[in-house]
Amino acid sequence: MNEPVPDFPRIGLLGFGTMGAGIAQVFAASGRSVLVLETGSERLESGFAAVSAFLEEGIARGKTTADEKSAVLGRIAGTTSVAELGCVDAVLEAVTEDPGTKQALLARVAAVVTEHTPILSNTSALSVTELAAALPNPERVAGLHFFNPAPLMRTVEVVRALQTEQALIDRLVALVGTLAGKNAAVVKDRPGFLVNALLMPYLNDVVQAYDEELATAADIDLAIELGLGHKIGPLRMLDMIGLDVHLHATTAAYTATLDPAYAPPPLLRQLVAAGRLGDKTGHGFHNRCHSREDD
Amino acid sequence: MNNENHTVAVLGAGTMGAGIATVTARAGYRTILFDIDEHNLRRGIGTVHGFFDKSVRLGKLDADDGRAAKEALSGTTELAELGPCTVLIEAVVEDLAVKTELFGRLDGIIAESALLHTNTSTLSVTGIASGSRYPERVVGTHYCNPAPLMKLVELADGRHTAGWAHRSTAEFLASLAKTAVVTEDRPGFIVNRFLIPWENSCIRALESGLGSKEAIDAAVPGALGQPMGPFRLLDIVGMDIHQQVATRLYEQLRDPRFFPPPMVDRMVSAGDLGRKTGRGFYEYDDTRLFGS
Ligand SMILES: NC(=O)c1ccc[n+]([C@@H]2O[C@H](COP(=O)([O-])OP(=O)(O)OC[C@H]3O[C@@H](n4cnc5c(N)ncnc54)[C@H](O)[C@@H]3O)[C@@H](O)[C@H]2O)c1
Ligand SMILES: NC(=O)c1ccc[n+]([C@@H]2O[C@H](COP(=O)([O-])OP(=O)(O)OC[C@H]3O[C@@H](n4cnc5c(N)ncnc54)[C@H](O)[C@@H]3O)[C@@H](O)[C@H]2O)c1
Repeated sequence: MNEPVPDFPRIGLLGFGTMGAGIAQVFAASGRSVLVLETGSERLESGFAAVSAFLEEGIARGKTTADEKSAVLGRIAGTTSVAELGCVDAVLEAVTEDPGTKQALLARVAAVVTEHTPILSNTSALSVTELAAALPNPERVAGLHFFNPAPLMRTVEVVRALQTEQALIDRLVALVGTLAGKNAAVVKDRPGFLVNALLMPYLNDVVQAYDEELATAADIDLAIELGLGHKIGPLRMLDMIGLDVHLHATTAAYTATLDPAYAPPPLLRQLVAAGRLGDKTGHGFHNRCHSREDD
Repeated sequence: MNNENHTVAVLGAGTMGAGIATVTARAGYRTILFDIDEHNLRRGIGTVHGFFDKSVRLGKLDADDGRAAKEALSGTTELAELGPCTVLIEAVVEDLAVKTELFGRLDGIIAESALLHTNTSTLSVTGIASGSRYPERVVGTHYCNPAPLMKLVELADGRHTAGWAHRSTAEFLASLAKTAVVTEDRPGFIVNRFLIPWENSCIRALESGLGSKEAIDAAVPGALGQPMGPFRLLDIVGMDIHQQVATRLYEQLRDPRFFPPPMVDRMVSAGDLGRKTGRGFYEYDDTRLFGS
């Protein structure tokens, strides 16, 4: 029997950072070939190293095999040249969350792919409609929003820009259906889409209550983990997301809506100003150098 | 605490009282369940016995321990019989007047060093303590439903709670194998403080067309590592309970995020309370919540 050819057999991925690495792995694991664009060979190497390390941990936990690991890595190739993206079936950008960077890059990519090649964005906080408006044939533009870590989180938001054609939405829902364990949620292009629109006010509220000394960070997280069965409590989640990333996203949502639920609480700004960004700096609400009990 | 030397009273034999009595009896405390209503008392004792019988049947508890736990429990409708108790856990209806009056009646009955715990969800520990001649011994201990299965207890001092009472309470909770988190005497403590606005915002998102209930219930847990979506959870909690808790917190905080959105009122009026009535956001054939 012939394996059915998957839709979008060749994915062009822009950016091999935190999300790019996870997304490359997810597509490669579905049997697709992935060509990743980065700014330099060190960035490519660090992306490959991240995928490799993630799969290595999967092997250690018995979730995957050495064969599967090399097959997945074998389907991912890197490049630093936009011109090489000409033959991909869809482009997904996961570069730095900066509108100027994304727009300039997408314009260059649009010039090398066919005029109907879908152009997708993994942005969390920018308007997909605005990204689409700057590109030729904006009906082939949509959001495809993965959550971090992409290989583990089941939900993928398919974001419908005002211009997106229904046929593309349908293809993307089907595409997500071919990714192991993933569920598509078709959402409007609102600030925060669906999940983050709900999550950000909650996280802001927790930060404010923590600042008002409702309880220690450890006890707030423990209460939510044990009381509601959440895998990780809200302050630990913020440390993982990165306080700067959350500040940026919630500020963008606040600017777009003027809804005070998105207004960043003062402590959040201060922690970012002090360089306490969470896990990536070893210090946020929890201090990674110490055990939970001492923070 | 040496469990055998202590007798625990649980006041109120409803959902929470029966659950808490299950925990204390299982931990080896002689436990007296008290209720003003004879029928509710018998039902509460039946619930505790049923839990132990089922645990034995499922092989989670050996038969001797099951028998011992059942023997540790007795019931009464006479408040005076709680005299020998060293820890009294109040879990009666969520009504400040009822709770303060009950604490007042205990003044002349309880022993010198007895601890007075309240399981209130939305009232102030300080307010409840004001009914007692001994507010320094009153501590908030907020268990989660179902108490025998949920490890968390939120521990909150009132304004006049003594340090020794707080410490003894923490030891007592540890002897029950509960995990205590320490919080302030503020409306909703930690869990309800964050859960209520969260659930309300999900209901508002549904009403504002952000997504269908199925879409939200699938997307949120799949992105955030929560065990179930907000509407499945509301159906388990019960819309009437959500409405009550949200309204009480709103009345104290005057923060609109706590105010139940109109959809809650409509569902309660229609009797669509969730699993227990067979219909809430979803429809159910089986209205049992946690086992039999
Ligand atoms: N981190 C998260 O939790 C998360 C979750 C969902 C979505 N997102 C979104 O995903 C996107 C990427 O976020 P991230 O956390 O992976 O960022 P990151 O900083 O880890 O990675 C961004 C990568 O893009 C590369 N890049 C920058 N400009 C480029 C260019 N012109 N060409 C090619 N590569 C370029 C950078 O070298 C870097 O490796 C953002 O839009 C972000 O909003 C992030
Ligand atoms: N149900 C929950 O999920 C939950 C969770 C945590 C805390 N709580 C809190 O626990 C307490 C009890 O809630 P519940 O759900 O078990 O209520 P319930 O209605 O199931 O039971 C209340 C019991 O108290 C009895 N009672 C009423 N007045 C009394 C009095 N003066 N003396 C003795 N008994 C009296 C009633 O007869 C009834 O049996 C409330 O304060 C509630 O806020 C409830």
